[in-house]
Amino acid sequence: MIEIKNLNKEYTEEESSTRALRGVTFSIEKGEFVSVMGPSGSGKSTLLHILSFLDRPTGGSYRFQGKSIDDMTDKELARVRNSDMGFVFQSFNLLSRLTVYENVEIPLLYSDIPSTEHRIRIEEAVQSVGLPEKLHTETGRLSGGQKQRVAIARALVTNPNVIFADEPTGNLDSESGLQVMEILKTLNDRGRTIVLVTHETATAGFAKRIIKIRDGMMESDTVAVSNHTNHDNLK
Amino acid sequence: MLFKDAFKTATRSLTHGKMRSALTMLGIVIGIASVIILMSIGQSAQDLILGQVQSIGSNLIIITPGAPSNGKFSPPASAQGIVITSLQERDVSALEREPSVSAAAPLVSGQAEAIYANNNKTVSYQGVTANMFSVRNLQAGKGMVFTKKDVDSAGHVAVIGPDLAETLFGPALNPINKTIRLKNVSFRVVGVLSKGGTGAFGVDQGNVVVIPITVAQKQLLGISYLNIIMVQANPNYDINFVKSRITFALRQNHGITDPNKDDFNIQTQADILSILGNITSILTLFLAAIASISLVVGGIGIMNIMLVAVTERTREIGLRKAVGATDGDILQQFLIESILLTFVGGVMGVAVGAIVVGLIYFILSTFFSIGWVFAFPISSVVLGLLVSGIAGIVFGIYPARKAGKKNPIDALRYE
Repeated sequence: MIEIKNLNKEYTEEESSTRALRGVTFSIEKGEFVSVMGPSGSGKSTLLHILSFLDRPTGGSYRFQGKSIDDMTDKELARVRNSDMGFVFQSFNLLSRLTVYENVEIPLLYSDIPSTEHRIRIEEAVQSVGLPEKLHTETGRLSGGQKQRVAIARALVTNPNVIFADEPTGNLDSESGLQVMEILKTLNDRGRTIVLVTHETATAGFAKRIIKIRDGMMESDTVAVSNHTNHDNLK
Repeated sequence: MLFKDAFKTATRSLTHGKMRSALTMLGIVIGIASVIILMSIGQSAQDLILGQVQSIGSNLIIITPGAPSNGKFSPPASAQGIVITSLQERDVSALEREPSVSAAAPLVSGQAEAIYANNNKTVSYQGVTANMFSVRNLQAGKGMVFTKKDVDSAGHVAVIGPDLAETLFGPALNPINKTIRLKNVSFRVVGVLSKGGTGAFGVDQGNVVVIPITVAQKQLLGISYLNIIMVQANPNYDINFVKSRITFALRQNHGITDPNKDDFNIQTQADILSILGNITSILTLFLAAIASISLVVGGIGIMNIMLVAVTERTREIGLRKAVGATDGDILQQFLIESILLTFVGGVMGVAVGAIVVGLIYFILSTFFSIGWVFAFPISSVVLGLLVSGIAGIVFGIYPARKAGKKNPIDALRYE
């Protein structure tokens, strides 16, 4: 599903340039739950941005579902982001003055899904994160954990193949963080691919596979031992 | 993204900042309202002026001495200080013989001080024949107008305007049979014109002294030529035919063979209307152009606010792009917002303009008894709405493009 080879990313600002990624190679199969870990400045966020089509690499190749990013226009990237990818951010990125319903609706507005299907899809997505009673509450009034669950509902509503989560528990207390991770785990159990970026070992522990990044290079790529132990660590 | 959804999204974000949206719209409201108000005032002034010209009668033809100016407006030669003596009494006789002419009335005019007892006022006097009163549709409110007999016998009689009567005699005295003096010549007042008489060529009919042409020519002016001949066309004939008959008769009388050397100028009411119409239309356009400056200022206000909104909503733009909005989707959303702002502002501006125009009409007609015409041209409404819509596009496109071009990662990181 995701195939990167020798991926490079260089930021040029005036005369100085920084190499955020220096030749990263791996692939992710459908149904995997991958955690990308690394200290801050390691390039893990840059990697996620490229994987999730928010940015383009400056070198190397990236094939998503068999198609190379180099062959796609910005408009096509937007289309794939909408239909095949879901996003969960550390800072939620909800529009606080809109209701839960309206926030979850946003990706549908940019999709081909007929508007007659919107209501049922939104209700299902909100149901699956356990917030049906908050459907018409403004998201600004929700707690952090609830906000992140709304964000997950928003990521789910177009029924994407892969969900990218960037430090989804970073702004949450451990209780809410656990809930959010449980939801992601459930989604993975139902066959959805999850790519998670985090620097918290406990959060990363929910994944079946952990890729460690340091100084823009891959440090290790290991299969996680057991979900249960990590689950306990988080508590 | 469907237009319906984009529209809904735009209205949602506008209603979230109601105060700001209202203040932003204010500029457009004022701009459109001033366009509407000034265009309406221009239209009213035009209707008022043209209405006065129309009231002199559509079958009236005015002949002045001097070469025609080929449709361009120029004041009569006499007003330029040039003495042209080409119009004579025999021209009047010739015109009266024309079957297509109902009446031909000559006129001479001058300025003098009208004196009664200790009161005086500088007035314009008009020497006319008795049929001028019917040609010009002038009536005496008090007393009567003078007759052909008075003219033929060079009688020292005068019909004066109502305002002059007030100035010379005050409200108490009856002017009839009192004697006034013009240039040391005494005239017996036989009549006072009724109020509201229309001035031809801007002559204030309220302060006029009308006397027999014979007296005016010989005793006041010392001339034998005429300043104007007013012709009433026979209503059974087409006005342009009458005009051509008059031209023919006058050329014959003056021995003119070359049509480019006419020494007289014939104007119908329609000619005057079209000239005045042109002038007043330009005036109206001029007013609208001034008003549109405020519209531009309002539009720049919109652009300013939209630019601020784009910056403030950077994260929202980033999020929308991350979940699949294209540059075009974002551009569309912001453009709809600015067009909505200007359009709603435009509608409100039209409403405010209509109210102010109504108020102006009410105040002028109630307190100043000016015969102001209520005019609210539909064209100004259409123009106002069209311009406000266009302003929305013109002043919205730059902020909207800026929003559309934002890089989603930078936008999401924006604090």
